[in-house]
Amino acid sequence: MATQETQLLDDIIVSSRRRLLSLGAASLAGLVLASSTRSAKAAVAYTDDDILNFALNLEYLEANFYYLAAFGCTIDKPNAAAMNAGAPAAGIPITGSVGTAGTVTGGSQVPFSTIQVGSYAVETAIEEGKHVLTLQAALGSVAVAQPAINLAGGTGGSFGELAQAAGITSDQSFSPYAADADFLIGAYVFEDVGVTAYHGAASLLTGTTTTLPVAAGILGVEAYHAGLVRTTLNYLDPTGSLGLVGYTTKVSALRATLSNQALLGATPAASAYDNQPDDYGLAPATFTLPTGSVTGTRIVDADPTDVVAFARSTTQVLNIVTGGGAIKNGAVVSPATGIFFPAGLNAGANGFK
Amino acid sequence: MKTLDQLVDKALSRRTFLAGAGAVAASTVVAGCSDTNSTPPPANNGLYTDADVLNFALNLEYLEAQFYLYAATGAGLASSDTSAPSGYTGKFTEGTLTVGSAAQVAGLTTAEQEIVNEIAYEEMTHVKFLRTALGTAAVPMPDIDLSFFGPLAVAAGITTAATGAGSFNPFSSFDYFLVGAFIFEAVGVTAYSGAAPLISAAGVTAGFLTAAAGILAVEAYHAGYVRTSLTGRAIAAGSAGYPYLPAANLVEALRATLTVGNSAAPSTTGSVETTLVVPTSTSTPSAIVAASPTSAVGFSRTVNQVHHIVYGSPTVGVAKGGFFPSGTNSIFATTTA
Repeated sequence: MATQETQLLDDIIVSSRRRLLSLGAASLAGLVLASSTRSAKAAVAYTDDDILNFALNLEYLEANFYYLAAFGCTIDKPNAAAMNAGAPAAGIPITGSVGTAGTVTGGSQVPFSTIQVGSYAVETAIEEGKHVLTLQAALGSVAVAQPAINLAGGTGGSFGELAQAAGITSDQSFSPYAADADFLIGAYVFEDVGVTAYHGAASLLTGTTTTLPVAAGILGVEAYHAGLVRTTLNYLDPTGSLGLVGYTTKVSALRATLSNQALLGATPAASAYDNQPDDYGLAPATFTLPTGSVTGTRIVDADPTDVVAFARSTTQVLNIVTGGGAIKNGAVVSPATGIFFPAGLNAGANGFK
Repeated sequence: MKTLDQLVDKALSRRTFLAGAGAVAASTVVAGCSDTNSTPPPANNGLYTDADVLNFALNLEYLEAQFYLYAATGAGLASSDTSAPSGYTGKFTEGTLTVGSAAQVAGLTTAEQEIVNEIAYEEMTHVKFLRTALGTAAVPMPDIDLSFFGPLAVAAGITTAATGAGSFNPFSSFDYFLVGAFIFEAVGVTAYSGAAPLISAAGVTAGFLTAAAGILAVEAYHAGYVRTSLTGRAIAAGSAGYPYLPAANLVEALRATLTVGNSAAPSTTGSVETTLVVPTSTSTPSAIVAASPTSAVGFSRTVNQVHHIVYGSPTVGVAKGGFFPSGTNSIFATTTA
C-alpha cells in the first residue's frame, strides 16, 4: 500500500526524473527513496492547500489543548488570562469555508505549581494559536473550519483512553490537567507527532518559496516545543524513578505501533532513514563515540542510526491522532475518526487518508 | 564511483530561484514571512548544486561535532570522518583543529554528562550522514578554531579577557557549556531552514529535502534543550541571579549585529533572534522558541548570514575568520552580502 508521498514521488519520478534516480542509486544509497518497491496506487494527490489544511486541523487541536491547560479557555473565546498573555482579544477564528466549526470537549486550566512548566504552557499556547492564524492566512478562502475536538481527561475522554491504551494507567483515569507532570505527558503526546507530520509534509509541498519555508519554519518550532517538553521531563525525573520516563516510553511505543499499522506492510515513505519503530521515549540509550561507548539521554526523537528526525505520512499521523481510526480491516478508511477527532478532520474535496 | 555533481543532472539541480523568488515573495499571502529574511545566495551566477548546499551544511556539522565531542569526551572526530573521501576530486583540502582550551566539560553530574553525550553523538552522526549522502563529493573538514569562543565572548560583551583568567571558556562548567552550545544551535536551525528551499526539484525527489528538514528538526530539539535549560536554571536561581542567561542574550545581540543590514538589499525588519526571558510566575510566557513574534514561524538565515556569524565578521567580501580561520570548505565561503 503506497502512502500519498510515495505515490506523488512515483509520479514525479516516472514523468521526468527516472534517470536521475537510477543514476543516483549507487552513491546515494543512504538517501534515495526505495520507490520501486511500491506498486499500489493511492486515490488522492494532495495539493499544497490540502497539506496546509491537514496541518491546520492539527494546529486547532494543539492550540486548544494549550489554551485550555494554560488559561482554561478555548482559542475562540479568550479569557482575561489568555489576553494578558497575548492572545488576540477577538479570539482566533474557528470557522472556515470548508466544514462546520466543531466544538471542543473537555479540558481545564492546570493548577501549575512550578514557574517552569506554567510559563512553558503559556508560551506554547500563544505560539500554537499563532500557527492557526498563520495557516488560516496562508490558506485564505480555502481554510477549513475547526473540527470537533475531544481533549477530555478521565473515563471516555481522549487522554483517558490513550493513557489506558498506552498502558500508563490500567483504567481511563488519566488527566493531563491534574498537575504539572501530567500536563507534560499530555504535551508529550502531541509535540513529536507535530514534528513528524510537518516533516512528512515538507517534501510534498510544491511551493518551494511559499509554502515550504512556512512548513519548515513551523517544523522547527514544533521541534523546539518537543525539545522543551522532553527536556523538562528529563529535569523532573532524571533517573526515571518518578515514572515519567517510563510513561514517555509507553506513549512513544503506542505511537510507533499505530504509525507502523498505518503502513499496512509497506516500507515507510522515506524508507532509507525512517526505520521502525519510528518513535523513542526518554529512556537512556548507549551511543558509540570515537572514544568508546557512553550512555546518553534521548532528548531528540530521531532515528538513532542517522539522527534525522522521523517523517510520517498523513495516514500514519491520522492513525495516531485517532487512536487507530485510520485503519479498519486491513485497509485505509476515510474519514478517520476517534480519540481527539471524534468526527474526523475537516477536509476539502480530496478528503484525508 | 561518480561524484554527486556528476550524478545529479546539472540542468535539474540548478535553481531557477533567483529568477522566481522576487515575484513569488511579493505574491505570497503567508503572514509573517517577511522577517525571516530567506533571500537566496547569489553565488556563482546563481548556479550551484545540491552538493554545494549539503557541503555548506557539512562545514557547520564539522564545527558542531568537534565542539560537542570535546565537551563530552575530551577528543574530537575520528580522522576517518574529517579527511577527504576516497575519490574526492574537489579543490578543498583537509584542515586542522585548533583545540584551544577544549576539553571534557568539568564538574558534570551524571545527568548532565548524559545530555552532552547525546548531543555529541547526534552531531557526529550528522557528519557521517552527510558524508555518506555526498559520497565522493563530500568536502573534508576545514580548519576549525575552538579557541574563538574567547574573542567571540569579548565581542559580545560577556567579558573583557579574550584569553587566560576571566576569559569565556565553554568547557569550564555545564553553565558555560550551555552558553557555548547556545552560540551554535539557533544558527544550525536557521541555516537548515534557509538552505531547505535551495534544494532542487531533483534533490527533493532524491530525498535531500526530507533529510535537510529532518536534521533541521534535530537542531531545533537541541536548541529547545539549550534554551529550556538556560531558562529553567535561571528560574531556579531566582533572586540569586543566573548570569549565563544574560550572557546568552549578549550572544544573540552580537549575532544580530553581525547579520542585520549586510545584505545587498538591507533588511529593516530587525534581527532573527528571540531574547530569552526569565518568567516570574506561572501565568507569564517563557521565550524558549526562537521564531517570528507575529507568525510563530521559525526563523531562517541565508548562507551569507551564517558565514557572518561563524566568521565573527559583519564585513562583505570576507572569506575566513572566527571558528573557520581559513574559511569554510564551501563555494559560499566568501560573504557576498
